[in-house]
Amino acid sequence: MTNKHSLKKLLAGPYLVWAVAFIIIPLIMIMYYGLTTEKGHFTFANIATITTPDNLKALGLALLLSIISTLICLILAYPLGMILSNSNINSSSFMIILFILPMWMNFLLRTIAWQSLLEKNGVINSVLSLLHLPRFEMINTPGAIIVGMVYNFLPFMILPLYNVLSKIDKDVINAARDLGANGFQTFHRIILPLSVPGIISGITMVFVPSLTTFVISDILGGSKILLIGNVIDQEFVQSSNWHVGSGLSLILMIFILISMAMIAKYDKEGEGSAF
Amino acid sequence: MAKKLIDLVNISKSYGENLVLDDLNLYVKENEFITLLGPSGCGKTTLLRIIGGFESPNTGSVIFDGKDITNLAPNKRQLNTVFQNYGLFNHMSIAENIAFPLKIKKKSKSYIEDKVKYALKLVNLDGFETRTVDSLSGGQKQRIAIARGIVSEPKVLLLDEPLGALDLKLRQDMQYELIRLKNELGITFIYVTHDQEEALTMSDKIVVMNQGYIQQIGTPEDIYNEPQNAFVADFIGDSNIFPAVMVHDKLVKILGAEFECVDVGFGVNKPVDAVIRPEDIDLVPVGTGILDGVVTHIIFKGVHYEMEVTANGYKWLVHSTDMFPVGSEVGIYVKPFEIQIMKKPESEDEEAIVIDE
Amino acid sequence: MKKFISKIYLALIIILLYAPILTLVVLSFNSSKTRAKWGGITGKWYVSLFHDDGIMNALYTTLVIALLSAVIATVIGTAAAIGISAYRQRTKSIFMGVTNIPMLNADIVTGISLMLLFIAFKFTLGFKTILLAHITFNIPYVILSVAPKLKQTNKSTYEAALDLGASPIYAFFKVVFPDILPGVISGFFLAITMSLDDFIITHFTKGPGVDTLSTKIYSEVRKGIKPEMYALSTIMFLTVFILLILINTNPKENKKTEHIINSKARKVSKLIMHRLIPATMVVVIIIGGFVYSKTNKTVDSKKQLIVYNWGEYIDPKVLTMFEKETGINVVYEEFETNEIMYPKISSGAISYDVVCPSDYMIQRMIKNNLLSKIDFDKVPNIKHIGSQYMKQSRQFDPTNEYSVPYCWGTVGILYNKKMVKEKVDSWNILWNKKYKDNILMQDSVRDSFAVALKSLGYSLNSADLDELNAAKNKLIKQKPLVQAYVIDQVRDKMIGNEAALGVIYSGEAIYTQKENPNLEYVIPKEGSNVWIDSWVIPKNAKHKENAEKFINFLCRPDIALLNFEYITYSTPNVDAAKLIKDPDIRNSKTAFPDPKDLDRCETFKYLGTKYDRIYNELWREVKSK
Repeated sequence: MTNKHSLKKLLAGPYLVWAVAFIIIPLIMIMYYGLTTEKGHFTFANIATITTPDNLKALGLALLLSIISTLICLILAYPLGMILSNSNINSSSFMIILFILPMWMNFLLRTIAWQSLLEKNGVINSVLSLLHLPRFEMINTPGAIIVGMVYNFLPFMILPLYNVLSKIDKDVINAARDLGANGFQTFHRIILPLSVPGIISGITMVFVPSLTTFVISDILGGSKILLIGNVIDQEFVQSSNWHVGSGLSLILMIFILISMAMIAKYDKEGEGSAF
Repeated sequence: MAKKLIDLVNISKSYGENLVLDDLNLYVKENEFITLLGPSGCGKTTLLRIIGGFESPNTGSVIFDGKDITNLAPNKRQLNTVFQNYGLFNHMSIAENIAFPLKIKKKSKSYIEDKVKYALKLVNLDGFETRTVDSLSGGQKQRIAIARGIVSEPKVLLLDEPLGALDLKLRQDMQYELIRLKNELGITFIYVTHDQEEALTMSDKIVVMNQGYIQQIGTPEDIYNEPQNAFVADFIGDSNIFPAVMVHDKLVKILGAEFECVDVGFGVNKPVDAVIRPEDIDLVPVGTGILDGVVTHIIFKGVHYEMEVTANGYKWLVHSTDMFPVGSEVGIYVKPFEIQIMKKPESEDEEAIVIDE
Repeated sequence: MKKFISKIYLALIIILLYAPILTLVVLSFNSSKTRAKWGGITGKWYVSLFHDDGIMNALYTTLVIALLSAVIATVIGTAAAIGISAYRQRTKSIFMGVTNIPMLNADIVTGISLMLLFIAFKFTLGFKTILLAHITFNIPYVILSVAPKLKQTNKSTYEAALDLGASPIYAFFKVVFPDILPGVISGFFLAITMSLDDFIITHFTKGPGVDTLSTKIYSEVRKGIKPEMYALSTIMFLTVFILLILINTNPKENKKTEHIINSKARKVSKLIMHRLIPATMVVVIIIGGFVYSKTNKTVDSKKQLIVYNWGEYIDPKVLTMFEKETGINVVYEEFETNEIMYPKISSGAISYDVVCPSDYMIQRMIKNNLLSKIDFDKVPNIKHIGSQYMKQSRQFDPTNEYSVPYCWGTVGILYNKKMVKEKVDSWNILWNKKYKDNILMQDSVRDSFAVALKSLGYSLNSADLDELNAAKNKLIKQKPLVQAYVIDQVRDKMIGNEAALGVIYSGEAIYTQKENPNLEYVIPKEGSNVWIDSWVIPKNAKHKENAEKFINFLCRPDIALLNFEYITYSTPNVDAAKLIKDPDIRNSKTAFPDPKDLDRCETFKYLGTKYDRIYNELWREVKSK
């Protein structure tokens, strides 16, 4: 028995090596850069750059926009997950594919397409003016960035929610109804608590990429709106200040650690994993 | 005489082209333990779900206490269900599970506490309040599901094969528990099972179903001793079913041998089915019975021996506490009132039922 | 009723998801080259797509990386999932924690951390590093798809197989593997999808000459996406769409009919639809990629030249001609700004052979000892470059030893005559509240500060903190009026009448005027920036001689003319300028401004690291207000 198991364990070997080489060591590199000066002395100065008003503002704005986007995704995706989990298996798996399919159109192109849609003389405004409705100005505003975030990350909310919701035993819901709970009570006392792992996983999967994006804010924000991702990108790519860039990345890691802790707490069994 | 609590009138239900219930009529009296018995796919669970409100019938109506509740939502019905796989809420403690229907009804905290305690005591699980659902064994989950079902004092408790997942010993214990509960609480139980022994043990009334039709309704004794057709006879307990000819009243010819019986009114020289329970066959010395045969097979079953006796070209199943070794010649005797005569099925449909089983 | 509402809701979400996709599909049939204008229906981009080496190369790189990384990740990930399942709970959670890191970690952090790793361990950034990075972020998806299936499998089936005499390997492949296969397959497809869709991680781990579609598109975002890109995406999207429909429209493969014996014909058609067609498509793609990379890559390294140039800054024909004439294989890479280019050269991560930075950046590179002297004996065609430009170059290359002028121009205001009725002759119009939300500024530190400094009457090379602060405050004051900070998008936006006024490079202005006759270019009276982009050879170039051949080639008048006509930026090649056929352009004030206008203009100078940082910080302040 032990022998058989150790044989099986060996199979994880290649991954172990890979994970150390390409996940652990790179993170250590970031920590190294984040905590040293160009001359290699230890410092907290790089991390402390987050306290400058500009950077704090970029972080605050990123937090705000990503929280709003995450909430919108949750509100949009939850009913969808319920609808999908109630439909029969064949059609729902087809629907799931419909939600993943847009990912095969390049991420950047999709985002640029939103630019075409939202622009002053863009598609939506053209349609509105054809209908003699008031135009709306959204491009290059935080609103447009939120649209981009919601659009790009919505599937990451739909999938885990669908997964947990479809795993809920229909008899459990029937039991609640049977014991006197009306539709709302059943949702609030049974379905909602049981779908927490999926909610947490979905929130993380939307929140983290929204928080750290620089592409969406670049394309849909007209480079007028600086998020923390843009600051880090600029530190690396334009100012080529890797130490400050790494220091700021370490700040982002804090949010990622929080997410991991949340998942560990609420989704022990990995039920909420998206795939 | 207790009044009718539930009356099912002309219920039909089909899924697509698949007819599950066909024009079914049934009533349940107050404080009755009624069992819907039948093989899987016979429509018994569908019927239960229609009563519970999880399905609506295509035609017909469900009358509860004189009111039509056919289209009433499950949460508005005064009946609770114990589901096959329990339907317990994993994210709640045992106490919260049981308190659920009371909380929905906005009962006071102290009332709920008392009730939960009482319900747990009823199912012999005192002190389980803070346990999690995951930490329970199958039998314990079952009891919690029942406790949750009865705590809000419904008029009827529906049980959908609740003992199916339990092992034999536990199942027997639970059977007695259920009977005790029913008597203590005075609630009407509608019980669904495919296990005939369970049905015979617990029920006041058994409804035998097959392919969407009710085959027979009666007390356990009626059903066992006087099955109305071959399906019921075959489904309830072991039986020998022979093609026979009713010579005239009180005389039937089975495999060429004439047996006295007590049945009348089947006509003269009409083909019938004769049912004889294995324990009703007496093995007697050769020549002293109605016909003779040879023991071809024997198994010791604990309480009795199960033997196969070949006589007149047929294998007779016999249960007896006396042992006759293989190869011994025996005489077969059946008391007249132990023979049950049934009409031959008239339609092919009914025939098909027999073959299926 | 409830069903109806949920159907409507589903439809709305689907519309939301597919509106942009539909937009892209429509754009792929737009005969106008810019996104901003509808020019009628055409299918020409679908044809020219297959002649665009850059895009086709990027496509195959993308597909090969996606497939390879998915295959490798599937093998490693599946093995890992099985291995992990044998561990105790605690070890298991540690493993899963590590697995979660690339999934949850910000792409930007993952990308950067891998880049730091590759540079620290002296991996040359390129195809291999992208592949390694993609495998890294793909493995978790595979593990997370396989692990749940593994949990569901009945342990006793495996043990039963062993019991019946199967070897562990045989038992695994015959009993366990079929059970987890759906997980393995979905992991594989997820990996492909994620690899195809990734931009950020690729962005940080890629090297010269290697582009995936994502990075190619990103470099095009700023100067306007090539319509071929829309066409390609449409093809890819539809291919996958059809593939998935073929695989999934399995009309009645549910449990009810499972035991009904399928007729043979249906089985065969099923096999063709669900296995054969998808498999054939995949094989074609793989073989195509293989053949394509074969014909393109196998060049011995001596016959190679790595060029690092601005986006859209050379006629692709010129590169082909050069390759044909010299037999040198050109690896061509583009950058968007000097600031993005500089760290790539200074870090030494990639050794480019010939680069085309702007004046002040050349000065910085000379100062930081990053450039090598050009052997002008090997560049005889230097004689065609006008002496006035060589003289001007001395501002940043005092000895004329390091650089050869390629393009030059001015920065000015492009305005739409329909929207701006007043006379435009001063930078201050960019502060006029009338034009709120109708002003486009440059998204670059020096260009934006140049505008502010000049409007205040200061030098655009100012190193005076008071002046700089004044300029910063002026830019902050302007920010609410600005529609967007862009680089080359000014072009598309001005053509599409999205804005009234934009700060633009003269070369871009010529192009926009061709597309939209309402546009006019001026050099404001306060003066502006006159700039020169010149070819230089970095110190760590591996093919210096090839680089000199290349520079010499570009200085040939006929070649310089080709480039001028393609990029429309003024050429310092006086002999080429004489060859311009169209008199309107030959005499265009935009392309070749009056000398008196140029007198008011300055060239950017490198101000040193300290001032670089100050400029950057002040700019950040402007951007984050």
